[in-house]
Amino acid sequence: MSSTTLPSPASSGFGLRRALMRNRGALIAAAVLAILLFIVDWISAGPLTYFDVSFLSSGGATSALAAIGQTIVILSGGFDLSAGAVISLVNVVLASSMDPMAPGASILLWTAVGIGVGMAVGAFNGFFIAVLRMQPIVVTLSTMFILQGVTLLVMDKPGGFVSPDLGTFYLGDAITNWLPMPLVVLGVVLLAWFWLKGTRFGTALYAVGSDADSAASVGINVVLVRFAVYVIAGGCYGLAGVFISAQTGSGDPLVGNPLLLSMFAAVVVGGTRLGGGQGGPVGTVFGAYILMMVVNILLVLNVSAYYSTIAEGTILVLAALAGSISHASVLAVQLRAARARLAAWRAGILPSQLERVDRRLRIAGPSHHQGSPASPRPAFHLRNAETLRYALPAYVCLLIIVIVTQIWLGRAILNPGYWNSLLVLSSFLAVLALGQGTVILTGGLDLSVPWTIGISGIILAGMVNGSDAALVYALPVVLLMACAIGFANGFGIVYLGISPIVMTLATNGILQGCALLYSQGTPAGFSSPLLRWFMTAKLGLVTPVVLLMVVFVVVAVLLLGRTPFGRRVYGIGNGLRAARLSGIGVERTLILVYMLSAVCAAIVGIMLTGFSGQASLGMGDDYLLPSIAVVVVGGALITGGRGHYLGMLGGVLLLTALQMLLAGTTLPYATRAILYGLVVLGAVMALRERRLQ
Amino acid sequence: MGIGLKVRRLALLAGMAACAFGLSAAEAAEKHKIFLSMSFIGNDWQAEAANMVKAMASHKSLADKVDLQVQVAGPNAQRQIQQVNAMVQAGAEAIVIFPISPTALNQVVKNACDKGVKVFAYDAEITEPCAYNVHIDQEEAGRVTAEWLVKKLNGKGNIIAVTGVPGTSVDDLRTKAAKEVFAKYPDIKIVGEAVGMWSQAVARTELSKILATRSWSDINGLWMQVGCFTANSMQLEAGKKTSELLPCAGEGSNGGRIQMLPEGTEVEGAASPYAPLGAPRISYASPPYSGALALKLAVEAIEGKDVPKTTILPLPVVTNETIKLCNEGTWAEMKAGCNAFKPSLVSNPGWFASIFSDQAPEIGLSAALVGQPED
Repeated sequence: MSSTTLPSPASSGFGLRRALMRNRGALIAAAVLAILLFIVDWISAGPLTYFDVSFLSSGGATSALAAIGQTIVILSGGFDLSAGAVISLVNVVLASSMDPMAPGASILLWTAVGIGVGMAVGAFNGFFIAVLRMQPIVVTLSTMFILQGVTLLVMDKPGGFVSPDLGTFYLGDAITNWLPMPLVVLGVVLLAWFWLKGTRFGTALYAVGSDADSAASVGINVVLVRFAVYVIAGGCYGLAGVFISAQTGSGDPLVGNPLLLSMFAAVVVGGTRLGGGQGGPVGTVFGAYILMMVVNILLVLNVSAYYSTIAEGTILVLAALAGSISHASVLAVQLRAARARLAAWRAGILPSQLERVDRRLRIAGPSHHQGSPASPRPAFHLRNAETLRYALPAYVCLLIIVIVTQIWLGRAILNPGYWNSLLVLSSFLAVLALGQGTVILTGGLDLSVPWTIGISGIILAGMVNGSDAALVYALPVVLLMACAIGFANGFGIVYLGISPIVMTLATNGILQGCALLYSQGTPAGFSSPLLRWFMTAKLGLVTPVVLLMVVFVVVAVLLLGRTPFGRRVYGIGNGLRAARLSGIGVERTLILVYMLSAVCAAIVGIMLTGFSGQASLGMGDDYLLPSIAVVVVGGALITGGRGHYLGMLGGVLLLTALQMLLAGTTLPYATRAILYGLVVLGAVMALRERRLQ
Repeated sequence: MGIGLKVRRLALLAGMAACAFGLSAAEAAEKHKIFLSMSFIGNDWQAEAANMVKAMASHKSLADKVDLQVQVAGPNAQRQIQQVNAMVQAGAEAIVIFPISPTALNQVVKNACDKGVKVFAYDAEITEPCAYNVHIDQEEAGRVTAEWLVKKLNGKGNIIAVTGVPGTSVDDLRTKAAKEVFAKYPDIKIVGEAVGMWSQAVARTELSKILATRSWSDINGLWMQVGCFTANSMQLEAGKKTSELLPCAGEGSNGGRIQMLPEGTEVEGAASPYAPLGAPRISYASPPYSGALALKLAVEAIEGKDVPKTTILPLPVVTNETIKLCNEGTWAEMKAGCNAFKPSLVSNPGWFASIFSDQAPEIGLSAALVGQPED
């Protein structure tokens, strides 16, 4: 990093402060971890011994190692959803290929195998993302599905054998009673990172993450950097897979999947900014350990099971807040702005208090509008060229899938029942796509969808309890509650400056706790006859909900395409600063966006309750990743600003038709997962970014 | 009822506060410190099992002996490893655990055993030899239900199979055992197979997908790990008469049990499809009382009694011949043979009805519903 310190003529004190400022995220994460350690030590019965530290260090090591890889991807401006699946794959590969009879296993060999598998997957991701310029989120999502299938092919149930030698090495002591091995492994990885950061590649990585176009124009090989990033990250996940194999001594095809979401939380709590260019793996390691410590905190505080997700969510928000406290934090800026507004209001100089006169600039001279229409309106396909380019692939693939269904299973194209089922089953994701899609258009992400669906369904079923009359007040109550949830999300993101992923992840946990408390563990009540009729009966050939879908799609297209709200959403997604400077009420719009997402999720909760006849805990769990996938398959850009609702709808129909095709076959689940991943990958091939100039 | 609920919540909060400030330390000295490590709490089965464990711990025979603390690990095996470690550090005498993975916990469980902690796994298995396991024979469950279905179909017909969570031992054992049975009958054809994730809601979505390209008339029977209640509802929606419902081998949800009662039976609170339909069924379950029984056995083990390493629970199987409605759902009444509960008592049809164990007279219906033990 000599290049940044060289031109600085500052004194050493100033340099130190700058270094502190630059590593603030990591430092604060370290401080939070220290406080948590202190709390555990203080409350628990005995003092914190070396033994405890050794246990803690091995407990958090897997997620810390994987999160380091994720951090490097995020620094380069990417996103990797395949991380958890790589860990599972490495775990089953090791567990199924080690020979229980052979005494002693080569630690070096098996570590190399694990890292190698991870890097191979990374190269697969890197090829599609860097060379074919496809969006990281869809590529890695497809990889995730493919890997889950491959993992089940390698090992279809838990079992296998991992040599205890691996465990003795990775979980043992580097220096007896002084330094546990997991910390050494993490230290070695971090040292390797520091070396890498100092090289030209390290500088290029931050440059690509900050602004890929600028990086390309100063001569950085962006393709190569991106490719290498995914390979390196894959190696980190591979090492995490080796570590969890050593820790568990066996294989389990599902072991890595649940690590994914907490990995992102670890990255953000550790001070790395999503979107790239700022932060680093050191903070991430602290972040991972903070999240792991939560388990111990809940235990020593004896927090009741129902409250545990609430407590976790709260800790997550507090950790994120602690990480952002400074003069420049969003919260501080907002407070200063509020004070300035108050002062302006006292002085009577707020824009809204001024006289309403037209202060617009008048541009003299000829303008296109004043003269006669000089050029004719371009043709429809030219005006909407971009929308068509990104929305069409989904529909083309849909057509192919329907034709394949007809040939393979028969009874599709001419069977009205097929089309009706397709539309009914699509309706849930179609509604979610509007909410999640709008959030993504502004560059955010809503992870609170699953339990917003869950709690809405549970509360509705509980209030309605089979009575149509009760719908009259139950529906507004549930929708109002959803508004409140969305408002809370939006408020945290806009005014407290918490990143959308962390805020909505925390909200999700808190809602889960609330749903459990409300239902006391078993949701009561069931859907009313009218609601069930709406979702499952047939009016001639179609189910009533299909008619609602038509209306919904029209409203959604108009909302995003023809209203000021829609234009503000696109404005914010294309550039927050530019949007603010052009006078868009960014705060208000963002809060409305998250409210829209929560209301859409609540509608899905209501629809699912009608569809199933009752509500159940966890009914929304299967909708989170698909809701993101359909938006991106439909041509939206995950970083915001680009996408059309009709494209997202195409994505919904495509994925639903694909699932219906696969469900109609008797292929094993593993094969279906692989096919699903491949089709999604193929569908988005057409959405590739244009070559950088 | 609103006030009652509030009072209960306040009491809960007060209890939490008391524990947090370590008030219980002195009185707990006499008691055995036992931890419950649950998996994901967000589904009906887990919540019901948790209620039954709590009821068992508060039963008068155990209340003076047991200091139970409940913790949730979520679906993440890594966290459960950390949690078990922390429980051992916190001085647990026994740990009752719903293992997220049968193998991933082996090392940490061995560690706990070495420190003299008794580890009891319920419902699913831990393969580490020092652990105690309390569960049903999953292969038997798959085999018995498949054999029943084959017999109902006279060895001939098209069936749909809806499985559980892929990649878990329980799903693997059940599905493989069932498929072995079906393979013996060449005229039984599995024409559709879906992943049901042990959820009624998922079962409906998956069945809807299958039926988009198939019609009910092409199907002769259903083998499902969870979802018969839903499948029957869907057949009624599709216009089938109750007498035409397909034979379904599947889960022990109360909704499914009520549907098995002869059509026209008077049942308080019933409303279609949660009503007696005379549906041809075999209903089996992984019983949610296994955790409570594991706790009871754990206390016996701490007190020095000889407890076998593996307790195989009798497979609760109910068919149309043995279905019987309970009036109140006390343990004594269930002992006399009743196995389905009125919708007016159990409003959630997805709730699991296999709650009777002749080894656990401490717990009955109110244990499963609200965590209250029998007298």
